[in-house]
Amino acid sequence: MDNRVRIIYERLLSKEYKKLRRDTSYDFAKEYASVGLSAAKRSGDRLLRLAELERAILFPEDRIGMMRTIKKVPPLLTEKEYDEISADHFIFDGGIVFNIASDYGKTLSEGMEKKRAFISEKLEELSEGDEKRDFYKACLDSVDALYIIAEKYRAEAERSGNTELAQALKVVPKYEPKSYYQALVFLRLLNFTLWLNGNKHITLGRFDQYAYPYFERDIKSGAISYDEAFSLTQEFFISLNFDADLYPGVQQGDNGQSMVLGGVDKNGKSVFNDLSKLCLEASLELKIIDPKINIRVDKNTPDEVYLLGTELTKQGLGFPQYSNDDAVIPALVKWGYDIEDARNYVVAACWEFIIPGVAMDIVNIEALNFPKIVRDTVFSDLKKVKSFDELFERVRENIFVEAEKMVASTKNIYIQPSPFQSLLMTDRIEEGVDISEGAKYNNYGFHGAGLSTATDSLAAVKKCVFEEGSVSAEVLLNALESDFEGYAEVRNRLLKAPKMGNNDDYADGIAVKLLDCFADSLEGKKNDRGGIFRAGTGSAMYYIWSAENLGATPDGREKGSPFAANYSPSLGVKPSGVISVIKSFVKPDLKRVCNGGPLTLEFHDTVFKNDEGTGKVAALVKYFISAGGHQLQLNAVNRDKLLDAQKHPEKYPDLIVRVWGWSGYFNELDAAYQNHIIKRMEFSSQ
Amino acid sequence: MGGRRGLIFSIEEFAVYDGPGIRTAVFFKGCPLRCNWCHNPEGLEGIQQILRSPNGCVKCGACYKEAEKNGGVLTKSCVDLCPRGLIRESGKYFEAEELAGIFLKNKDVFDRTGGGVTFSGGECLAQVDFLLEVTSTLKGKINIAIETSGYGDTRKFRELLKNIDLVYYDLKIIDRENFKKYTGGDISVVLKNFGALCESGAPFTVRVPLIPGVTDTAENLGAIADIVKDSGAEVEFMPYNKMAGGKYKLVGREYRPSFDTTREINYDLGAFIKNGVAYKIK
Repeated sequence: MDNRVRIIYERLLSKEYKKLRRDTSYDFAKEYASVGLSAAKRSGDRLLRLAELERAILFPEDRIGMMRTIKKVPPLLTEKEYDEISADHFIFDGGIVFNIASDYGKTLSEGMEKKRAFISEKLEELSEGDEKRDFYKACLDSVDALYIIAEKYRAEAERSGNTELAQALKVVPKYEPKSYYQALVFLRLLNFTLWLNGNKHITLGRFDQYAYPYFERDIKSGAISYDEAFSLTQEFFISLNFDADLYPGVQQGDNGQSMVLGGVDKNGKSVFNDLSKLCLEASLELKIIDPKINIRVDKNTPDEVYLLGTELTKQGLGFPQYSNDDAVIPALVKWGYDIEDARNYVVAACWEFIIPGVAMDIVNIEALNFPKIVRDTVFSDLKKVKSFDELFERVRENIFVEAEKMVASTKNIYIQPSPFQSLLMTDRIEEGVDISEGAKYNNYGFHGAGLSTATDSLAAVKKCVFEEGSVSAEVLLNALESDFEGYAEVRNRLLKAPKMGNNDDYADGIAVKLLDCFADSLEGKKNDRGGIFRAGTGSAMYYIWSAENLGATPDGREKGSPFAANYSPSLGVKPSGVISVIKSFVKPDLKRVCNGGPLTLEFHDTVFKNDEGTGKVAALVKYFISAGGHQLQLNAVNRDKLLDAQKHPEKYPDLIVRVWGWSGYFNELDAAYQNHIIKRMEFSSQ
Repeated sequence: MGGRRGLIFSIEEFAVYDGPGIRTAVFFKGCPLRCNWCHNPEGLEGIQQILRSPNGCVKCGACYKEAEKNGGVLTKSCVDLCPRGLIRESGKYFEAEELAGIFLKNKDVFDRTGGGVTFSGGECLAQVDFLLEVTSTLKGKINIAIETSGYGDTRKFRELLKNIDLVYYDLKIIDRENFKKYTGGDISVVLKNFGALCESGAPFTVRVPLIPGVTDTAENLGAIADIVKDSGAEVEFMPYNKMAGGKYKLVGREYRPSFDTTREINYDLGAFIKNGVAYKIK
């Protein structure tokens, strides 16, 4: 990174700039309620007020800049109003618009002034009392709020002698950017304003595609050098992190600022370009959380892309995440997405596949708790059934029952209007419909949490109870009930039964069937917004939440122990190896359960210690894609995990560390050696 | 042939540093040498062993109680009693066909990445008849590498080499006395087999552990360079790492190297440069 970017980067790390934030908190909802303002108008008004209240702060080295000074976005509704609405509506995650993708390409190329003119015209056209007036008025307020922020920064730039930024803000956001630099300023403004608008999980989508025309033109004409574009991109990336601690999420960092690189265009042609590569290199050097990089790949992706991706994995940030166009695009088409839209997919906050501009999908609206269904079925039916197949049939029925319940529970949803977000969608303004009301696609996604725990549980029942007879139904139920207290031998027997992830059809075949049941249970079902239900392999936070209160399971898992995150072997299972894991996890028909949810593989960072190791990891990723996997996330194992492994070795029997030219299970090393590795990792992570 | 069983203590998929491409490494249990710096004591004894991990024990006493029945020695029946799963049996017997079948399942991965299987140990030559049978099954289907100290029967070794695509051959210490002192073996066996290896025409890489004050001396490195120079083979140096003792407690032993582990490794590899021997430090 160049000196300028380094100064900005150090500012981010020092956190000093946060002192410039104001402690004042605001409450508009009471006032709104007292005058009976509509939710749409509130949203426009709130953004307008916050824009007025924001202060522009620029540092001498900023070319893009922008930071929040208001800490918290006040709610639109009073608590009383919220409770009233939730009494007769389903409210999901605060009832706001979030986790969708804007149409940044169209927004950049049109500029906001064209939209503003359209909105003004509409407001003149529509008679007083027309119900669309509130929407358009709120949209107008939202554009003006954006303009206010832009103008504040323009004035501050001018005052501080930053003529370049002042000049840029005369062009954007009103008009199409004239350069790559101006495009970045525009995007930063949009990102800043979306957060200020109270949206969350704000994705960045296919940055390397929509920003490419500006990048390409500047590079070709010689207007900027590659190094300068690199520097600007790095500044843009850093700027996404300035306010990250203010962004709402389950955990800090859970803010959804994902970026997707590569993939294909609407004709199916590969579009990994120089800017995609630049983004990977920029991120590699920065080692900061945002943007979280996803790479779209397919069977024709060149090795170089995997190598660059693996270099990034090596940094231990947990990204890039890969998604396989050969699996995802057909899956989306099968679910009714137009082929051009499917080819344009991006990744939502975590893993779910969504379409920019045209979708109001709610992709994480519920989660099927596989292990709970299996456990409940074992308790209710194990003593009654005569064979494993019969037991499985009961499990299948219960999956259908549970799916029906989830479908019913998601009816009649209430989502607050979000006029500013509507402005950034492809056609909401033209249609006069707020994005909260829906768009071209209105599908709901259900995660499938704890698949491996459920699979392993059924495999253990099949093996121990039905085949070997080594554990009777009676003893199993007692052991589960008592959380294996006094049943160590039974538990060890269950633990030895086949587990998913060993490329053994005994267990893997059960997983294939469970996922098929899940897909079957949602087949043909419609939600009340005209969309369908998408089954998935993700877990979100449900791998902890759903597991916390669940008693012991027949795989040997103790009460309250978490499931594996996402689509991965159970915690505590020691699989034969990473190749077996991959082979197991590509067996199911993933195109039917493609809501999103990656196989997660963890490597000790010494695997990446030289080009040989890095190249092999890249080859492994490529193999996963060619074998039909849908999504993959790799981790270089971090120090915190090793510390936890010292305290709770039973949770990490499969944690392998490369000590030097040899490998060992972390648990089996003397404490002194473990400490050494931990310390070494502290050094290597500097 | 047929029906022979081999004792294996670990099968490691995705062994990154055991040859080209994506490889599975197979560790044979049992070794005729007792190298002073050995980092993998689990591979020494050619018998099944019950191992207890030293960390995470909740001191419930279940295994001790069971072991008392056997004069205080851990037995197989202790394995299932541990509530934390810290006791395991090391070493599993495989039929040659069965073991080969495990590798063949991953042939597609090996073929795509230029990888294969690497037989290691312990000392894989210590079970050479079994190894011959497995490699005969795999020959021509999967790329086969071995990692060996060269300590085995020469006639069998020659026969084995016909099945092998790549050999990693250890040259640790050349001096007869020192070899005896630090490994317990007879260097002439290693040198004789090295000759057989050179004659065979099989591609090979020489591996030299750099043990401070033991193998990294000017005389020893000079002697190794002298032996390797005409073979055209590449040398990989494996520097001693202070973690070598990490697994000893697991097998109920103490790590007691008779050399100064804190001493700096001598990286003066002039003898190899002078003789035009290509090398890498791993």
